[in-house]
Amino acid sequence: MTRSPRAATQEKTKTETRTQTAPARPWNVIVHDDPVTLMGYVTRVFMQVFGYAEAKARKLMLEVHREGRSLVWSGGREQAEVYTQKLQAHHLLTTLEQADA
Amino acid sequence: MNMWAARADDGYVLGGLTKQCVDTLRGVPMLVESNDSRVRERLLPDTYDGAEDEEQWREHATPELERLFMSRLQIVRKDLASLRQIEDADSWAIYLPDTHVNAWLASLNAARLSLYALNDLEPKHFERDGDVKCTQKQMEALWRIQFLAEIQCVLMGDIDDLETDEDEDDGVDSGEGEAEAGGDDPLYDGPIPPVS
Repeated sequence: MTRSPRAATQEKTKTETRTQTAPARPWNVIVHDDPVTLMGYVTRVFMQVFGYAEAKARKLMLEVHREGRSLVWSGGREQAEVYTQKLQAHHLLTTLEQADA
Repeated sequence: MNMWAARADDGYVLGGLTKQCVDTLRGVPMLVESNDSRVRERLLPDTYDGAEDEEQWREHATPELERLFMSRLQIVRKDLASLRQIEDADSWAIYLPDTHVNAWLASLNAARLSLYALNDLEPKHFERDGDVKCTQKQMEALWRIQFLAEIQCVLMGDIDDLETDEDEDDGVDSGEGEAEAGGDDPLYDGPIPPVS
């Protein structure tokens, strides 16, 4: 038995809709502690790269210092890569991780 | 060392630099350009866990970063050429324009990280009250790391007027064009802040 063209079109439309609305897992930009880089420099770089206010930048810097790492930004992969490259350009130890589902 | 720093119209003047300070500053480009694997691994670290993603990153992002590092070093070298010995004194001075501050800050950080990697230093070596044995070479490296940190402190000046990368057009921070804040006398005045 052959399905009508209309039924096939409806099924295809449903499939496409499901694909398009599937939530993408965000990418996390992680900055790791290192024993050399100055705390003030890390704060400055966070302000410069993300445009964060000094209080937020300092809070994230302290998280790096105390916890050994900090999630400094989360979102789409392309933008996460841009931020990671900028942070590495300032020599902050930065990695990219996809968020858990 | 009796380094002093002063604001000029559109930059910083660092003076009272000893021969050891001058040698350390002149060594910054070589440290950043080092091909030692320990330095390369730190300045161009692994970014992804997955091999395929990491390969893509190495292919596309890493070359851009290397070009940026080199362009900053051109700025640093240009300024190093302005090092002048003060007449009748055994000290040197250097002028660093505001527009070069970003390039200097990043290059100084890279040089400090390189010294750390090349001399097998560990966090315990930074503990002021610790009883950690250092080789002579490590002692010298620690001194250089601290000296370069002092320069960074001077150049960081006032953080309030910082421009952001969001104001820039291109993807990676160019390291140029940032006008640093300037009060009348943000002189270097003492102990180095703790490291992150």
